[in-house]
Amino acid sequence: MKKVKTKKDQRAYFWFFSFLALILIFLFGITSPYLGYYWLFGILFGFVLQKSRFCFAAAFRDPIIAGSTSLFRAVLVAMAIMTVFFTLIQYNAVQGGALTIPGRISPVGVHTIAGGFIFGIGMVIAGGCATGTLMRIGEGFFMQVIVLIGFLIGTLWGAWDYPWWERVFISNSPTLHLAQYFGWTGAVIFQLVLIAVLYYIAKKYDDQNNILL
Amino acid sequence: MDCLYEACPIPLLKTMQSLKVLNQGDVLIVETDHSCAIKNIAEWVGKQKLPCEIIEVSNGEWEIYIRKER
Amino acid sequence: MKSKIIIGPWSYLTGAILLAVLNTLLFAALHTPWQITTGITYWAAWIFKFLGGAPENWHYFANNASKSEGLSQSFLSNSLSLMNFGVIFGALLAVLIASQFKVKKIKSPKQIFAALLGGIIMGYGTRIALGCNIGAFFSAIPSLSVSGWVWGISAFIGAWVGSKLLIKYLL
Repeated sequence: MKKVKTKKDQRAYFWFFSFLALILIFLFGITSPYLGYYWLFGILFGFVLQKSRFCFAAAFRDPIIAGSTSLFRAVLVAMAIMTVFFTLIQYNAVQGGALTIPGRISPVGVHTIAGGFIFGIGMVIAGGCATGTLMRIGEGFFMQVIVLIGFLIGTLWGAWDYPWWERVFISNSPTLHLAQYFGWTGAVIFQLVLIAVLYYIAKKYDDQNNILL
Repeated sequence: MDCLYEACPIPLLKTMQSLKVLNQGDVLIVETDHSCAIKNIAEWVGKQKLPCEIIEVSNGEWEIYIRKER
Repeated sequence: MKSKIIIGPWSYLTGAILLAVLNTLLFAALHTPWQITTGITYWAAWIFKFLGGAPENWHYFANNASKSEGLSQSFLSNSLSLMNFGVIFGALLAVLIASQFKVKKIKSPKQIFAALLGGIIMGYGTRIALGCNIGAFFSAIPSLSVSGWVWGISAFIGAWVGSKLLIKYLL
């Protein structure tokens, strides 16, 4: 029979590290208020990711291997919420005279497809995406430290090759923002409808598919 | 079944494989230390309408009991 | 109820809503949404510099004002680097409060190989697609950028290929 293991109470460590994190907020905050914020946000992101076992790799992978889309649908819900608020922030910035729309808006082209594709393969075989890797290092996974080492090598290699990609693809690629086509309100409605349709398809797929390997 | 130190999604895939070869009424015990595994295995098993129970045996280590009823 | 909150796991939906709120607050307060891999690229570049390389002369860093500025900072003075440390630290706190921390060893050489290879192609992918699942997807789609959708579809196809490889070689 299996030997009985004891479960240690680790909450003392929790209080110790929380205290440490708090001190660091102030230390970084003294250097620059922004650093304190970034540190705090990082901690909150990490905490939520771990507590809800939120894994973007699984959101993409589970529909394929297990026929389960619950995580994928959760991502869609997050997208829908953020779409509304992000657009408001962008709209306000543009009304306030900002020359470029704030946010993550990148040129779209062959490099996006190629990069997304190999990232997709990588996150499945490495057992985690970028956030998943960082979060699992915090959980104590040794394997994810190896993934991070690979990640470091990969980013460096990519940065080295970047001029080629930039010359051949990125500089020729248009930067597309949905509001260009549909106006601000139209873009939000378009995107929310798209998300809703995807959600519906995902739900149907989940109900119908019971993948047994 | 021992899935210790295995990364996500391996425990789930192994669970699927083993459940298939088990006889009706058998109980599969999955040992894992992967926090995501307990969630996605439980979800998948629930979808198969099989009873399952999760016990935390040690710090960050779980045993999942699944009875193959049909 | 209380133990459910502390120990978890929380539902995916709870996580999704909280992440959405956090990312919105981050965007509103600091004018830039969440991103991960630019910070990781700095880590790589700093380590490379420490080992004797000169990444500051690379086109990637030298021809971009914000990137060359980022490169001149250090692990603890660069905001993106610090946020990544925060994610690791936050996850550590989340496991400790539930007393679920455990050092997880590696089981087989196959795992090391898969981890290293997966990491490298992910890293390379993030540079050419200008972001990872956060910067090019989770923050890009709500920014109404078409690139986010294209990235999402590509990553989905990649994940499909990856799953096939995983089932074939790693199981």
